[in-house]
Amino acid sequence: MSETDTTHTSRAVFVRAGAGGWGPGLLLRADGKRNKVLSVTGGGIHEVAARIAALTGAEAVDGFTTTVPDDEVVAAVINCGGTARIGVYPRKGIPTVDVYPGAPGGPLAKFITEELFVSAVGVEQVQPSTVEGAEEPAEEPAVPPRSERPSSREVAATVTGDGKFGQAFNSVTGVFVKFGSGVGSFVNTMLAAGRQTIELTLKTILPFMAYVSLLLGIVIYTGVAQWMGEVLSPIASNPIGLVAISLVVALPFLSPILGPGAAIAQVIGTLMGSQIAIGALPVQYALPTLFAINGQVGCDFVPVGLALGEAKPETVAVGTPAVLISRMITSPVAVLIAWAASFGL
Amino acid sequence: MQVLAVMAQQQPAQPEPETSGGVLGVFEWLGTHFIGLFNESGEQFVGLVTGILPTLIVLLTFMYALTTFIGEQRVTRAVQWSARWWITRYTIMPIIAVLMLTNPMCYSFGRFLPERHKPAFYDSAVSFVHPVTTFFPYANAGELFVWLGIANGITQLGESTVPLALRYFLVGIVVIFIRGIVTEKLTAFMIKRTGRTEVFADFDREFEAARAGGVKA
Repeated sequence: MSETDTTHTSRAVFVRAGAGGWGPGLLLRADGKRNKVLSVTGGGIHEVAARIAALTGAEAVDGFTTTVPDDEVVAAVINCGGTARIGVYPRKGIPTVDVYPGAPGGPLAKFITEELFVSAVGVEQVQPSTVEGAEEPAEEPAVPPRSERPSSREVAATVTGDGKFGQAFNSVTGVFVKFGSGVGSFVNTMLAAGRQTIELTLKTILPFMAYVSLLLGIVIYTGVAQWMGEVLSPIASNPIGLVAISLVVALPFLSPILGPGAAIAQVIGTLMGSQIAIGALPVQYALPTLFAINGQVGCDFVPVGLALGEAKPETVAVGTPAVLISRMITSPVAVLIAWAASFGL
Repeated sequence: MQVLAVMAQQQPAQPEPETSGGVLGVFEWLGTHFIGLFNESGEQFVGLVTGILPTLIVLLTFMYALTTFIGEQRVTRAVQWSARWWITRYTIMPIIAVLMLTNPMCYSFGRFLPERHKPAFYDSAVSFVHPVTTFFPYANAGELFVWLGIANGITQLGESTVPLALRYFLVGIVVIFIRGIVTEKLTAFMIKRTGRTEVFADFDREFEAARAGGVKA
């Protein structure tokens, strides 16, 4: 910042993955326009963002209070253990540093590449680069090409040759070729959908099931489930208790913490389910419970979600508090509506 | 699921080992309960994998393919249409966005709205990403257990989850509508409160100009 404040490229830093992290590491540097390190972690500027900024001579910016044009961002520092935010910045081509041990997963997994993502990064993983003038790998690894079948039209033409018969034959084969390639693209689309599904199952759904099973196993085997039922059922089996839960999780200073990856809502949902299974919680309270435990949904994601909708910085500034405060009103209302809609279940 | 139901019945009965007393007894007790804990967890895992996963996998495949066939362009047109009116803006628009683009890309449809409506649209869309998993789990497959956790409990009681799923989905639509309206009002309040009235009036003019200038996707 001090002596080389010209358009010269600044010092580079190398960010490597920490224990349990993913990715070979990122080489980051700031230059004339690209001079902001975006900290999208909540609770001010993360120390990792501050260190990257200090070493590259860039400026650390809190992504929750300000938005920065994408082309000014050196890197985004996130704390995502889930599947949503993790892919948002890689998708925009912004190098992303996750302070949690995240790995490619979720709907944006294909954007989370080695060139753009590194995870489980702590302050000690951010070091000044020793390789001077090292080139960042600019080229993306070649995507496996679509099936390169030889054009069947050409094949048909060479087989039949010219002449009237050949032309008629070609027009007939043209129909078949069209039909064939239609079938081909249909099959390919289905196959891609299957691949996407299996990838998601392996990377997100099965790991979550493993974790949920362990949790359920412990809770049931140790008898904590019954103990919890005794504590929870008086709260969760009347509308006032559920409204109270929804108000607590929607508190503007709590909701952004409870939100990430819907982890807490999912765990509580699973535990509540185990209470329903042992009869501690009546089935007619399942619906209001679903809303009560989820009053914080997306509160951690407001600036990122707004940025995805190409919102201006001023919109983020007024919109984030608006959403958080709105939950204080709408979450209890949601529970009451759900409670009213539960009659007859 | 039958496995789970059986386990649920068995679970109060904790295995009581024949204690031989002394130090060895302590280790025996530890050994039994240590492995017992993970056996129980394993049973839970098998229940989830055999009960939920097969249907989920084929359903996800079908829906991913369907969204590819429909294509984003067609959806974009429907969304632009629904962005105009306040009733559709917080019902049809977020529903289409979540169903077609899934979490988290659904929020990108906020770009079809003027700045003052973006926070309300976000709030509305993000509140739909869990009710949607009842019938369309692909739309938020990373966060299934808000719904599945509760639904699992009902399955273990031997009851159908469909009535609850339907109500969760429908009440979800009512709730995202209310959230959209309330957040829109609060955004307007925040704009006034922070003295940004002029800035947002400029944004509105820009938005109108852009829409009049060219109706491009």
